Amino acid sequence: MSNEKKFIVSHAPFWHDGSSISERSYHTMLAAMPAVLFGLIQYGIPALAVISLSISTAIIWELIINKITKLPNTIGDGNAALMGLVFGMMMPATLPWWIVATGTFIAVVIGKYIFGGIGSNAFHPVVVSITILLISWNSYFDFDNALVNYDFGFPAVFPLGALKAFGTGSIHGFSLSGLLMGQQVGAIGSTFGLGLIIGGIYLILRGFIRWEISISFLAGMFLAAMIFNMANPEKFAGPFFHILTGYSLIGAFFLATEDSSSPVNCIPMLIYGAGAGILTVLIRNIGAYVDGVLYAILIMNLVNPLLDKIRPKAIGKVA
Amino acid sequence: MDSKKELRIAYGLAAILLIVGVTSYAAFSAKAPDEPIRLMFKTSAGKVLFQHKLHTIPSGYSVSCGDCHHHPEDNESAMRACGDCHDPSGKKTEAVVNTCSECHDADEFEDTDMMKKSDALHGQCIDCHKEFEAGPAECSQCHVM
Repeated sequence: MSNEKKFIVSHAPFWHDGSSISERSYHTMLAAMPAVLFGLIQYGIPALAVISLSISTAIIWELIINKITKLPNTIGDGNAALMGLVFGMMMPATLPWWIVATGTFIAVVIGKYIFGGIGSNAFHPVVVSITILLISWNSYFDFDNALVNYDFGFPAVFPLGALKAFGTGSIHGFSLSGLLMGQQVGAIGSTFGLGLIIGGIYLILRGFIRWEISISFLAGMFLAAMIFNMANPEKFAGPFFHILTGYSLIGAFFLATEDSSSPVNCIPMLIYGAGAGILTVLIRNIGAYVDGVLYAILIMNLVNPLLDKIRPKAIGKVA
Repeated sequence: MDSKKELRIAYGLAAILLIVGVTSYAAFSAKAPDEPIRLMFKTSAGKVLFQHKLHTIPSGYSVSCGDCHHHPEDNESAMRACGDCHDPSGKKTEAVVNTCSECHDADEFEDTDMMKKSDALHGQCIDCHKEFEAGPAECSQCHVM
């Protein structure tokens, strides 16, 4: 029998490695900064107003709900600030203040606290919030309408909106490199593809998000979009166009990867990510909505507990 | 990072960003430019995004102001928005009458029929696109349901 030591387990006391929720939150916010800064430069002071109010109100709502429910003050963990930032990134720069405040209330109180606080939410709180806002005040989220007063140096139509309404003939003005560099109409922090990819890679390398989810999300989108495109190139755009437009990249790196609403095992993570990516393209191409990322992630959040039933067998056997 | 320091950061972040957010909303609210860049027409047949600036600039379609803003004919600096004179209902509403009254006496325009906004815009867009054999020709190429 081999004397090789396979696995060493020592007994308590253990030494904490220093990681914390706040570290995780602020590093995720740091990873989002390239995309956020690009949005601030692109849209100016109105974007700063949305982002600032979004982060501050998210923290304030969490403080208020902590006081009302007499729970420990959790704003120090940075999760509320992170939720506020991600929420703000997905908003048009001209959004009224009262929608920002309502949105962060829904995210923090309904999306997170009603489910039991951090780690207990079944759905991504920000996605829950934005989908409720989309149903309630849809016209404010029409990027074409919201940004009519901005003078861009590129085709000034929301790419997915143009694709849905007029087919691929209307998107010839968009180059993939331009889309990657943020030359597209959209939300404050969701248009700068390169920045989101850099942020995503940083989070993967630091171990804050799981690559399985992000990569399978993008692979699922790629595959589904490619099949549609091959079937009817005049109606359906190619895979890179889908990946670089709308909420695709922010969804892949900042939404689908949220801890408590995504699986923990490898195979479930791959299925979860690929499912969300495929559903996104299905909703965009044959569904009623222009962008499908939010609804796709909500649906996969819903099946997440079922997916996590796929798990390794426990070692040993019952007598 | 201990919990007290974490709390101080969160309080500081909330306070500073609240001030920045409120100030930005209050003092720097987005204003519409004097000359529109794009216009979104919301109609019963869906929305239409009109690229106003693209139609006017030399690197675009170089349409002169007077080609569309046809009244008053002799004063290019007094361009009016289409809806100032062409109400969606086609009726001479109080707002339309007020616009007309800026230059005319009431008896000058009381017998004048005013084209409704959709007819006026359709006429302008379609006729021009036909004349230059360019731009959208079908309804669905402009109107998005």
